[in-house]
Formats: sequence, C-alpha cells, structure tokens
Amino acid sequence: MAAPKGGYFGRILVIDLTNRKTSERKVSDDDFRKYIGGCGMGAYLLYSALKKGHDPLAEDSPVFIGTGPLNGTSCVSTRMSVVNKSPHTGLLSHAEVGGHFANEIKWAGWDGIYITGRSRKPVMLFIKDSEVKFIDARDIWGKDTEESEELVLREVGDPDAKVALIGPAGENEVSFAALIVERSRAAARTGTGALMGNKKLKAVAVRGTRAVPTVDVKKAYRAMEDAKKLAVEREGWQGIKRYGTANLLEMKHYGSGSLITKNFQTTWWPAIDNLGAEEAARTFWKKHTACSNCPVHCMKTGVIRGGKYDGLIAEGPEYETGGLLGSNLGLTEFGGMMACIEMADAMGLDAISAGGVLGFTMECVQRGVLSAKDLDGVDLKFGNADAAVEMLRKIAYKDGKAGKLLARGVKRMSEEIGKGSEAWAVHTKGKEIAAHDPRGDKGRGPSYAMGTCGGDHHEGGDPKTLARWAMINSLTICSFVGGYPWGKETPKVFIDMLNPLCGWNMSDDEYWTTAKRIITLERCFQVREGVRRKQDILPKRFTTEKLPEGPKKGAVYTEEDTRKMQDSVYAYFGWDDDGIPTDATLTSLGLDFAMADMQAARKA
Amino acid sequence: MKKDDENVGKALDKETTRRGFLKGAGAAAGFVVATTAIGGIRPPLAQAQQPKPVMKYLFVERQNCTGCRACEYACSMAHEGVVRPAASRIHVRKYKGIVDVPVICHHCDDAPCIAACPLDPPAIRKDPETNGIILDSETCLGSNCLRCQEACPAQFIRVHPDTGTPLMCDMCGGDPECVKACAQQATDPLAPCLWAGAGGAGVNMSFRKVTPDQAAKDLINQMYYPNTDGKRR
Ligand code: SF4
Ligand code: SF4
Ligand code: SF4
Repeated sequence: MAAPKGGYFGRILVIDLTNRKTSERKVSDDDFRKYIGGCGMGAYLLYSALKKGHDPLAEDSPVFIGTGPLNGTSCVSTRMSVVNKSPHTGLLSHAEVGGHFANEIKWAGWDGIYITGRSRKPVMLFIKDSEVKFIDARDIWGKDTEESEELVLREVGDPDAKVALIGPAGENEVSFAALIVERSRAAARTGTGALMGNKKLKAVAVRGTRAVPTVDVKKAYRAMEDAKKLAVEREGWQGIKRYGTANLLEMKHYGSGSLITKNFQTTWWPAIDNLGAEEAARTFWKKHTACSNCPVHCMKTGVIRGGKYDGLIAEGPEYETGGLLGSNLGLTEFGGMMACIEMADAMGLDAISAGGVLGFTMECVQRGVLSAKDLDGVDLKFGNADAAVEMLRKIAYKDGKAGKLLARGVKRMSEEIGKGSEAWAVHTKGKEIAAHDPRGDKGRGPSYAMGTCGGDHHEGGDPKTLARWAMINSLTICSFVGGYPWGKETPKVFIDMLNPLCGWNMSDDEYWTTAKRIITLERCFQVREGVRRKQDILPKRFTTEKLPEGPKKGAVYTEEDTRKMQDSVYAYFGWDDDGIPTDATLTSLGLDFAMADMQAARKA
Repeated sequence: MKKDDENVGKALDKETTRRGFLKGAGAAAGFVVATTAIGGIRPPLAQAQQPKPVMKYLFVERQNCTGCRACEYACSMAHEGVVRPAASRIHVRKYKGIVDVPVICHHCDDAPCIAACPLDPPAIRKDPETNGIILDSETCLGSNCLRCQEACPAQFIRVHPDTGTPLMCDMCGGDPECVKACAQQATDPLAPCLWAGAGGAGVNMSFRKVTPDQAAKDLINQMYYPNTDGKRR
C-alpha cells in the first residue's frame, strides 16, 4: 500500500470531539485512485464506518469534509464535498461548496477532515498545518453566521484563516441546516449543520502554509493552465462571469419553461423581471467575488438602497436561492427576495429546502389546509416576503408551533398535516427539490430521482452525465469551471492534469470505471437503507399535473419517462431490475466488500 | 525545505528553485531567464516582439478585486516554483465576506523597510533597474529580527513559512506575474484590479499609508454605504 506520490498528502485528519483527540488516518495511493476524493472518498469511508439504520445524529456519526487531488494546485479546483448520513433523509448525502476553505485544507497538508464524537460544550477547531486547536466556543454559540464569522476570525487571530461554521439552525438541529463557508457559501443539502450542532461544533477554521506535492510540475501546471483557458474562453460561460447564475431566472421563465413558481404550480412568472439578473445588475450588485484562482467569479454581493429593505447587504441571488426564495414564494419584489436569502444565510439554513418548505406551507394556506392560526399568527401567503423572512427565523430556532412544524421538512409535514397535502408535497427521497421544474427541463428528472441523495440539481441528466458528475464531485471541481465548460473534453482534460500531478497513467476507461465505482458504492449505501426502484421517482405533481402556461405549456413527466430513466440508469451502471447492484458489477468494480449487504437487500 | 517542496522542486529546472532564483536575481538578464523558465507556462519575455518597458511600481484598484487570489498563485509559482499562497509576496484579505483587499508593496521612494534593517549593508536593497526589493537570504536575520516588517506602513511584509525571512516583492524583474494573472481574471478586460507602472507618480507614497483594515473600511463605506449602526439589515 504505497503512499501517494503527488496530488495527495495521503492523510486524513480525524477529529474525535468526545475525547478532544486528533489522529491521522493514512490513505494509500491505491485507495485514492479508486475513490479519488470528495464525495467518492466520503462514500468509501462512510460505507465501512456505518451499519444499516445507523442514527445520523448518533455520537459516532461522522462528517467528512473531503478535498480532491486538484485542490491547492494551479488548477481551478475550488470545491470540497461534505459527506454524511443526512438527518433529513436518513440517506448518504454529499454537498459541494466552493470558496477557499478546501484549498486551505490542502495547503495545511490534509486530504480531508473526518469529524466524529460529541463535545460537551460548544467548541471550535483551528487547524493550522499539522497543529489542531480545540477552542471554547461558548461565547459564539447562538450568534448568526455573520457575527460568528467575525468572532471566529478574531478568536483564531489569523486574518488569512478561512472559516466554515453553523448558524442558529444548525445549533438547534434543524435537519436541513447548512454548513456555511466564508459567510455566504453553503454546503447545504446534507443536513451537516444539524450534525455539527449535535456535536456542539460551532466552527472549523483552517490555514495552510504548504504546497501540494506534484510529480511533474511542468506538465501538470501546463495542463491546468490550458484547462483554465478553456473555461474562460468557452462561449456561454461569459454570462456567468457577468451575472453569476442569476440570469437563469430569466432564462428558465422565458426560455426553458422550468422556473419553479408557487411551489411548482407553474413555471411562468412575469414578475421575474423584478427578481432576476438584470434587476440585480441595475439596482443591487456592487461586486463580483471568486473562489480560489477562479476566473468566473459567479458570486455577487450588493446593497439595497431605498424602500423597505434599505441598507440590506446580501449575497446573491443565485438561480437556486432566487428561484426557491423568489418566484417559488410568489414574490414580486427584489428587496423581499434578498431579505429571505440573507435570512437563510444568516441562520445557516439550506435555502433550497427552506424555500421548499415555505412554498409547500404557502400552498397549504392557499388551499385552506393551514391558516395563520396554525402558524403562530404569521400570514404565510404567496407573495408575503415579510412573513417568509419571519418564518425562516422561526424555523432556525424551532420557535413556536409553526417553527417546530416547518423545521420538519415537506415530507414529514405533509404526513402530519394530511388532508390531501401529499399532492403538493414536492420532494424526492424526503428531500425538497432544487429550482428546475423537470416538466420543462426533462434532463433534471434523473438528477432529482436517480442522483444519489435525491432532489439535487448537481448530479447529471442521463446515465453518462450522472457518471461524469460523480467524478466532478470527487475531483471537487466546480460545475461552472470544469463541469460544463470541459464537458466535451471530459475525461481528457482531467486525465491530462491528474496523470502528471499524481504520477498515474489513468486511461479513459479507468476514468469511467472509477465514476461507476463511486456511484455504485453510493448506491449500495442507499440500497442498504432500503432504497429501491419505487423510491427512484419524481414527486407526484410532475407526473400528474400538466404545466398550465409558459413556453412548455402542457408538459408533464410521464410514468413512461420515469420508467425509461430508471431502466437506462440501472442498465448503464449494472444494477438489477430493482436498482440493486449485481454481484458481477460489484466484482468488476472491486466492491466485493458490499456484496453481502446487497445479497441481503435482495432477499429482504 | 519541507519534503513536499523537494518533491515538486525536483521536476523543475535548477534555476527555478527559490535559492537559485535569488542568486540569479542580481543580474537583470539572469533574472528574466529564471522567471520565464518556470514551468514555461507563459511565453518567454525574450520572444516578445517589442521589449516591454520595465515596470517599477504596482497599483491596485481595490474595488475591482474579486478575491480570487490568482495573484498569490502566480507570485508563489514564480518565486517558489509551486502554488503556495502562504509564501506569496502579494496577499489578499477578505473582510466581512463582502470586500477583498489585495495587499501590495508600494516600492516606497524612501523604503522604510530598508532603513529599518539593522545590518550594514542592509539585507534588503532596491534593484535600481526594477525598483524591486531584493532580499539577501544569507545575511538576513529572519525571525530573530523582522524590523522591516514593523517598519512597513502598508503591512505588506509577511514571513516565509519555512525560512522565517521576510517575503519581499522584487517586481519580478519588471514584468510582474501578479499583474498578468489578475488581467486574466478580470471581470472587464479594461478594469483589472492590479496594475503596474513605470512611474510611481507620488501615489505610491500616499497609498502605502493605508493599512489593509483601513482599506477594507473605506471599501465598505464607498461600495455599500452601510447603515450608521453598522448592521447588515
Ligand atoms: S511598502 Fe513596505 S515593503 Fe514595500 S517598500 Fe514600502 S516599506 Fe518596503
Ligand atoms: S510583482 Fe512579482 S514579486 Fe511582487 S507581488 Fe507581484 S508577483 Fe509577487
Ligand atoms: S488576481 Fe486580481 S482580482 Fe484576483 S485576488 Fe488578485 S488582485 Fe484580486
């Protein structure tokens, strides 16, 4: 089991919060080559660490923050993948997030951080190269993410440190609480915030001073430079430089007919002119912000001047936050949408799940199933931004009857409320879905229904893109740098960088086999938890209600579409008719260790 | 040198290691060869049709900074042979998640850093050709001294994580790598954040008095004109 030669340090930092101890887990070059890093390495570590039915909020439940081989090199690799068993869905989940945090982990000489245990008192970590400090965080506990980040930076005393932390939502163990990185980026779709809150871990700060070992610097860096050029020059991505993802709000309304609106009742929302990128550029944005080395700088920050929200400084909108907390709530005014987005960031909530929950509740109100009386007097009607802002705060604190109810998420809410509300309970595998209506944009169907974690937009639209994205999330590359712009050249662009970086001789075939191994292992985890064909579906609304208006008027995601999607994915990855990986597939991918579990699942 | 640095250094030409680099830095010609040989990523200066004018000053248009740190990447690649922001001369600080402040050397006409050096001759000197600050790592007292760091009004000087000696900006022989990297990142090709100039125009002398913290306050006031109570909402 040789140590890695380049791209990796060959060690993962293991934190035991119960005993305030740290240790180092060695990982061989072979294992990295098989699982790459990020979500792939996370699946490998968690599959063996956990048994079927393990309580996501148990003391020994791990959170893995995984980097990839390209982080910290001259490649534009900015993301990390946060992997844990989600307390929201009970399934293996991963969330990718950018910024500088991932690269600082690498420069500190680690390939990832594996956190287990539970502290008795609020604590934070400061990782400076090989040194790890446990710092009392009692004074920071309870503060929103804005104030917390300032306090954490002051506490660690290193202005170059980068911080990931939780807000009140995480502290109160809201099952869709996010991990907030560098104030406004979120690893959100995993319920990681709740795990950290449960572990009493408020924040992790990291600072590294080393360099990533590289086997052939000249060759690797040249390939990375070429890849970066490709990302900058490719037509279509210039729009992201200018508008971030916000202009998808207009695009999905006018063009693809997939802008989610009023809890997925329609995709046509003319008020989008007041919420989208053009409005933001004209009245709000002050600055572009980028992750490490990234020429795309998709993140925008701005300030509202005039009107009710005068003085509001916030980041966004992105397509997801603007969709879920804008058109989805039937909002018509920019300031109100930004107030919701900023509230979700400040509280440390997953803006997608939170938006889904609010939209669902608003529809319950619309249909007379819930009223202000049931909601602590909050008038949660479509279009009422103030009510939405107030409710986001209540969710984060599980405040009152309404806060407790909404903090449960759409699936559990509708089970509790009943009264036919399942019809508009939009989730897959228990997770609220992202901002692309799959009736207008059919390619999103597989991402929501077949993607590992359910309801995510970052998983890919057909079997091959599912595989592609498994690699992108393991290599921890951003969609807007490597995911889309390098699309046609995948896997060549990656292999050209990886081989000289790591001293490998990876071929195209090996690349795709690795992708299949990662997805299949993730699938094994979910199958062990009970996921089968009958869970690989889209919410009922998409298969029964036609889009009432807009460019894709009349579109519906048919049962036939669903069946085809399932069959093609199972066939491509070598899973049986119920979506369980076959023995032959497991053997060919070197996953024999999962065979007994899969055989048991087949009998169950 | 740590083990991983040796590992990466192996693959590079000899003169691109930090030590070799510093030796070559004395003669302007040797300097150019050294920088351009690094990774061979950017076209060698020698091949340019028109010789570029020698740049002697850096300027920063702070509100244009995206906080991407490509300048740190480029600086460390040029001086360390690898991406290693902790050893970059230029460094970028983020404040409150909304503004970024690149911290540069202003190549002060009176160079308080050099004046503060207790050695005779000082371990740092200005290259008369490029205005770059050149460090003699053999004589520098490093972490035992760091008077230069205290003297720098811009709070530019950080120390090398391995050697403890100050990280001085040598202007990359008159063709700053950070400036080129920034141009590639710019939102608007006409409006990058970093600039280089052949003259300081006196601006460098007043600009240097602005500490990073002060610059951040100014940026927040100028760009976001926040509420007087400092609250974000
Ligand atoms: S800015 Fe600082 S390091 Fe640069 S010349 Fe002036 S005193 Fe020296
Ligand atoms: S001019 Fe050269 S040495 Fe100075 S900060 Fe820029 S890249 Fe670094
Ligand atoms: S390269 Fe330019 S935009 Fe990027 S951090 Fe440096 S100064 Fe700012």
